[in-house]
Amino acid sequence: MTLQQVIFIILAIAVIGSALFVVTTSNLFRGALMLIVAFFGVAGFYVLLDNGLFAVAQVMIYIGAISILIIFSVMLTRGMQAMIPRNAQAGSVAIAAALLFLILLLAFGPFRLVVDLSGVPILSALFRTESARVLGGVPWQFANREVPETYIADFGRALVDLNQFLLPFLLVAFLVDAVLAGAIYIARQRKPAEVIAEREAIAKEEAEELAALQPQPNAPTLPQGAIASTADH
Amino acid sequence: MDAITNLLKIISDFVAELIRSVLGFSPLLAELVTMGIAAVVLITFAALSFMGLTYVERKVVARIQDRLGPNQAGPFGLLQPLADGIKMFTKEDTTPATADRWVYNAAPLVIAVFALATYAVIPFAPGVVGTNLNVGVFYVLAIGSGSIVAILMAGWGSNNKYALLGAFRTVAQLIGYEVPMLLNVLTVVLVTGSMSLIDIINHQTLADGNPGIPHILMLPLPALVFLISGIAETGRSPFDLLEAESEIVAGFHTEYSGMKFALFFLGEYVNALAVSFVFSTLFLGGYAGPILPPYVWILLKAALVFFVFMWLRGTLPRVRIDQMHALNWKFLVPMSTVNLVLVMLVLKLFPTSESAAQAFGGLLVTPWVQTIILAAVNLGVLFTALTLAARAARRFRQAEEEMIMRRRAANLAAAKA
Repeated sequence: MTLQQVIFIILAIAVIGSALFVVTTSNLFRGALMLIVAFFGVAGFYVLLDNGLFAVAQVMIYIGAISILIIFSVMLTRGMQAMIPRNAQAGSVAIAAALLFLILLLAFGPFRLVVDLSGVPILSALFRTESARVLGGVPWQFANREVPETYIADFGRALVDLNQFLLPFLLVAFLVDAVLAGAIYIARQRKPAEVIAEREAIAKEEAEELAALQPQPNAPTLPQGAIASTADH
Repeated sequence: MDAITNLLKIISDFVAELIRSVLGFSPLLAELVTMGIAAVVLITFAALSFMGLTYVERKVVARIQDRLGPNQAGPFGLLQPLADGIKMFTKEDTTPATADRWVYNAAPLVIAVFALATYAVIPFAPGVVGTNLNVGVFYVLAIGSGSIVAILMAGWGSNNKYALLGAFRTVAQLIGYEVPMLLNVLTVVLVTGSMSLIDIINHQTLADGNPGIPHILMLPLPALVFLISGIAETGRSPFDLLEAESEIVAGFHTEYSGMKFALFFLGEYVNALAVSFVFSTLFLGGYAGPILPPYVWILLKAALVFFVFMWLRGTLPRVRIDQMHALNWKFLVPMSTVNLVLVMLVLKLFPTSESAAQAFGGLLVTPWVQTIILAAVNLGVLFTALTLAARAARRFRQAEEEMIMRRRAANLAAAKA
């Protein structure tokens, strides 16, 4: 049991344990904090893979930005404390998640599915297989390779190389531009008339919501003598 | 002479040799134990310097304010940190009844951990560094952004509306000022070509170990903006509305007392000292210096930067929160972005190495000429930005005055009628 395997097992237990806590807890804030622990574990995996840049980027982006966003949304939403973590679709979602897990295990794991259709009468004619087929297993090209010393510069060059990752990089930059434009639009300086109009719209919406909660004026009600008749006994 | 210069390295080699051979540990265990001892030494250094810094800060700020500062506890008040420590230990350790116990108690620990984790990558002497990460600068920034979560924990765990609001404001300030810090550290990384702190120091020293051109001469604007962002990141004056006594009670650490408050306090000062160390590494040349040993040089430079922090604290008034955000997003971020692009252009058009000149076709210059061109470009950007900001401020002030005059005239007309 090398030291790397021991560290891997410790990190895996930390990540899986905190992830389980996140999906089963009813205290959303603590769930968000355990999500941060899970992200730290993933950063540890990157360090195990000799890739310091991605580990630090994971900490900065996931813990320093995304987790804070999640915590803000937990804190600023009204009624978050009263939400129940179980809903009507829990059963079908569990089945779908289990199926997805099996497919992922087949695709990325050490298991292979050997399908031999030559003996089956109808299907062999349909699928025309002469020999057994092996399903599953992704042929990883980069397993067991060393991370080169210049991996940061190589990564940077790959981001601007036409043949590698230039298109995703530009798409992400475009997305960031759109987000910035949206943020500036939301935070723009508003004229007084605009502010008043916005406040009137919000007040009208809240009045409508309040009216919707009141009992409807044309809901079916008991006839006049109903209660009196039951009390006659 | 050589022994004094390499004192730290000699001590660390001796301890490592001791652990490896005398105690007979396996190489792996020996390395772990050595790293553990190094971590303990770093943390002790940070904690002791925290004690000294509280005293020095109070004295310096007092002198700026034309008074004496602590002078009762011991000669010249030198035992004041001890008295403060005793006070912190003996204060009642309260916990709000409805607070979330785990979150509330974990927040000061997380802040202290993240503040102390920055010291792992700072080189104190050639060869004396906790760990030579090749993403050292990025690590420092990531650790800084990780400590923001602890503030949210403190604010939420206190179960106190004022603490929560204070935590929101603190987080908004800290996240906002990370952006100019990042952009300006990026200029230093561009000039150096590496994110490792030791490479950055080597870029500022000549081949024979003498100090070369410090980055503050090449990049005065990024140094200035990094200083401002560093002050805002650690929540010091003039950006200290997060915890000032007359503001939102005490911000996110309202409900903390005793040792937990001491941990927050320690986190703030340790963070400020870490920012001074990082600034002196990035811009002033780190441990490079002519006569004195390297560890003395880096301590002197960090002390100088911390003195600038204390000087600003004693001199400038507190900045309002909307003024602070406007300064960040409307002034520092556009200026830093423009500066980054221009620095990139200058580095490509006036390279100092032959290979870069051949690759892009720029004009080959000596390092000093490139320094002067970069400094000129930076100062040009700074003065342009300042002029534009002054003009915008003047326009805003004139519009306000016009509105006031108009309202006054309307009131006068209404009173007469």
